[in-house]
Amino acid sequence: MALFAIPKVLQGPEELNVEGPKVIKTFEIFGLKINFTETVVLEWIVMAVILLGAFLLTRNLKVRKVSKRQAIAEMAVEAITNLVRDTMGKRWLWFTPYIATVFCFSIFGSLISLLGVRAVTSDFSVLLCWAAITFLLITVTKIRYGGVKGYLKGFVDPIPVMLPINILSEVSTPTAMALRHFGNIAGGSIIMGLIYYGLANLSRIIHLQVPVLTVGIPAFLSLYFDLFSDFMQAFIFIMLTMVFISNAGPADDETPQTN
Amino acid sequence: MKLGFLSIDTGTILFTLANTLILFFGLKHFLFKPVNRILEERQTAVDQTLKDAEDARDRAETAETTYQEKLEQVKEESAEMMRSATRRAQKRSDEIIAQAKAEAAGILQQNAEELEREKRRAEQELRSEVSGLAVMVAEKVVEREINPQDHARLIDEFIDSVGDVQ
Repeated sequence: MALFAIPKVLQGPEELNVEGPKVIKTFEIFGLKINFTETVVLEWIVMAVILLGAFLLTRNLKVRKVSKRQAIAEMAVEAITNLVRDTMGKRWLWFTPYIATVFCFSIFGSLISLLGVRAVTSDFSVLLCWAAITFLLITVTKIRYGGVKGYLKGFVDPIPVMLPINILSEVSTPTAMALRHFGNIAGGSIIMGLIYYGLANLSRIIHLQVPVLTVGIPAFLSLYFDLFSDFMQAFIFIMLTMVFISNAGPADDETPQTN
Repeated sequence: MKLGFLSIDTGTILFTLANTLILFFGLKHFLFKPVNRILEERQTAVDQTLKDAEDARDRAETAETTYQEKLEQVKEESAEMMRSATRRAQKRSDEIIAQAKAEAAGILQQNAEELEREKRRAEQELRSEVSGLAVMVAEKVVEREINPQDHARLIDEFIDSVGDVQ
């Protein structure tokens, strides 16, 4: 056997668990059980990082002779503003900070899994919350531009028989958004877990004290399942949010595709 | 205790909603507001600079037009001055030439008159001399005194015929 004890943390995963976030504490408010989970703590960390970043990037803003930090902040703001303007039209420019919020929250919430913790976005409740906000905004927009009557009439359009299908399609929009994002991130984390688990077992089979095989090989897969997928899902989520919400209202007077 | 992998948890949804709203207002306040303010300020500055540049260009164009006009005017004036000076000089030279010609003509005239007078006087002198001589010769020929008064017609005829021969 080994000449000296290998720390357990270096021996690689011995089991693979597919489970949800830890519940740290449970409150009871008005008879409603409220769970305070691991996800919320991670959200706070992500928020702190994002807000600190925003705070640091916008120190000492100047009109001339901009610093690199300021250039990054300006580029980010202009990029997201242009994206919202091109996708939704000028009317929705006030909406830009929300899109930026979801985008940053999603990306950093997914990337936090690189630190070895659960990704915020592998908790379905989080995605459901964001999808619900999108759904709410779609509905509000439809009522605002079509009136309550017009909104309700949309469900029996073109013929009343379509009512169940229309309700289904209305509900499926946010559900599909949430499930898509959740499935990609959570699925990616399961695949990465499987790969680490498998490579650690393979190392044990060939009698390696330290699972050397888990070094390097997963990094390439992680490029896709963590970096690329995290970025793509965040982008897809905000694009769908923008398209669905702006499509709920009438077309902008100006063509949205400027530049 | 752990939740299920695909669980829907009310607490998480509510906390996430609150967190999202906090992050929304946080980003709006810490990122979008200051950056957009700076972008607007820069836009204003750029617009102002462009406007100033345009004003300066307009002023320069106006000044150029004015100078061009003045230059044209000056050129016109100088050309006019040249022309009038040339005209005056021409006139003056014509006058001088005409005067010189007149003077020369006067002198020639005078000379001719002088000559004529000299000629007349010489003729006169010659005539009186010849008439005296003729009288003398005739006296010698006829041996008697001839009264010049009596024979004046004769003598004149003689002289005229002599003069014609010349």
